[in-house]
Amino acid sequence: MTRRPLIHKSPMPGLGLSMGITLTMLSLVVLLPIGALLWKGATFGLSGIWETVNRERVWAALFLSFRLSLIAALFNLVFGLLLAWVLVRYRFPGRRILDAAVDLPFALPTAVAGIALTTIYAPNGMFGALAKEIGWKIAYTQSGIFLALVFVGLPFVTRTVQPVIEEIDREVEEASATLGASRVHTLRHVILPMLAPAALTGFALSLARAVGEYGSVIFIAGNIPLVTEIAPLLIVIQLEEFNYDAAAAIGISMLLISFAMLLLINLIQVWSRRRIGYV
Amino acid sequence: MSDIRFAAATEEPAAVRRLLIGLAVAGLATLVAAPLLVVFAEALAQGWLAAVTALGNRDAQSAIRLTLLIAGISVPLNAAFGIAAAWFITKFDFRGKAVLITLIDLPFSVSPVVAGLCIVLMFGTNSLVGGWLVASGHPIVFALPGIVLATMFVTFPFVARELIPVMIEQGRAEEEAALTLGASGWRTFRTVTLPNIRWALLYGVLLCNARAMGEFGAVAVVSGKIRGQTATMPITIEMLYNEYLSVAAFSLAAVLTLLALVTLLLKTALEIRHADQLSATHRH
Repeated sequence: MTRRPLIHKSPMPGLGLSMGITLTMLSLVVLLPIGALLWKGATFGLSGIWETVNRERVWAALFLSFRLSLIAALFNLVFGLLLAWVLVRYRFPGRRILDAAVDLPFALPTAVAGIALTTIYAPNGMFGALAKEIGWKIAYTQSGIFLALVFVGLPFVTRTVQPVIEEIDREVEEASATLGASRVHTLRHVILPMLAPAALTGFALSLARAVGEYGSVIFIAGNIPLVTEIAPLLIVIQLEEFNYDAAAAIGISMLLISFAMLLLINLIQVWSRRRIGYV
Repeated sequence: MSDIRFAAATEEPAAVRRLLIGLAVAGLATLVAAPLLVVFAEALAQGWLAAVTALGNRDAQSAIRLTLLIAGISVPLNAAFGIAAAWFITKFDFRGKAVLITLIDLPFSVSPVVAGLCIVLMFGTNSLVGGWLVASGHPIVFALPGIVLATMFVTFPFVARELIPVMIEQGRAEEEAALTLGASGWRTFRTVTLPNIRWALLYGVLLCNARAMGEFGAVAVVSGKIRGQTATMPITIEMLYNEYLSVAAFSLAAVLTLLALVTLLLKTALEIRHADQLSATHRH
């Protein structure tokens, strides 16, 4: 058996040019800077990173970031599925506007979202005042961070699940109903498994976005060390103090935890695809 | 009675339908519509004149110019990258294609703050390259090139992601026909490929531009926040807000919000009018 060539011969022009531009820009903009971070990490080794990260304030920030991101992504998973279902299956006035509104968190700058959400949910704000009546403080607490993370991750699940719902063959549902399944049973055992892989993809994207989010969170968070200080903010604080080693150590830990989580989600996805029996 | 309507077996009961629609509307109203309205309400809290005056301020003007300049540099560069990468990936067969696509998507799973940190570590005064560049009078970090690099990092995948699925779907037959008929490579690209991908390209550029103009986390790390020099619109919004200059902060925010709304409008128009020429996930 002959070895597969690295690049197959092709009559298409522009191989050198397109490959050159692609690899050069990818290296310059993405790979070299990430390499610089990893190199920095390599110079002080795992034990050095551990020494920096193993402090109460850093642990608190990492734990807070990943815990709230997970909760927000779970919320977005449920609400995103609901939104996708409503937008594809139901016809009602204003559906187009609703559909377009889902994408606003993608288009609105995070700093703008941050100050707007803070203004609304602060104790003297529109909704913040209402919440205060029942003794619930939203802005400057972990509830506020949760809200901002839900905002930035809102579109992902809806946008990955919507095309899948559109593709579902109605006959499958009819068959299920003919065989005596209730609507709830059909949704739970026929529809939901079909949506699971796409929903998981959306969940992973939403989670990744939430973990790294900075702009919309810092305004509403209050930024109290140990309580409402997120990991990206801690990196910024270290950088402002020109403490590059600590910033790099926290940055690398965030990268490692994020990649581990994404890997886990990918494995779950492979498993769920195999279980449902289609690729 | 003629108005009895039996519920279809593949539909939820009307009450459930109404409840779900209600939840969707209520959720989007509190999370999305309310912030949108608040931006304009706060900007106009002291009338039109105050808002316009705030925008005419020297720092605000320089922030607007800087943001336009940064988008003007980074968006075309990323568009060129997107076209080149999509051409390379869809027109040739090579080993490691999946790895390449994963690497292009990498910026989506890296925190913008970490992206900024990477650029500081690579080009900051303490680094090998950065030290030399600063010594020769070309600082990257705390200057325009650093902000452009940070912006390009976070918007890197946008155009390529839109083009690759469309170009895979369209295949290579049309280009091969043009080449067989004697067209040059460049002419084939310009007269055959480009017209086929123009709407997808525009779609990617729109999203790329919205993100480029609004990027905060990555830029905050590399800009140094020098008023009138390296403070972009989002950075200026942060500084004004922290100084309790609410009208000024929200006036600038309103400009960016208008940009976001125009982006959404154009994006929706593209989805309605040119759905067949966009990546399949955008077809409704």
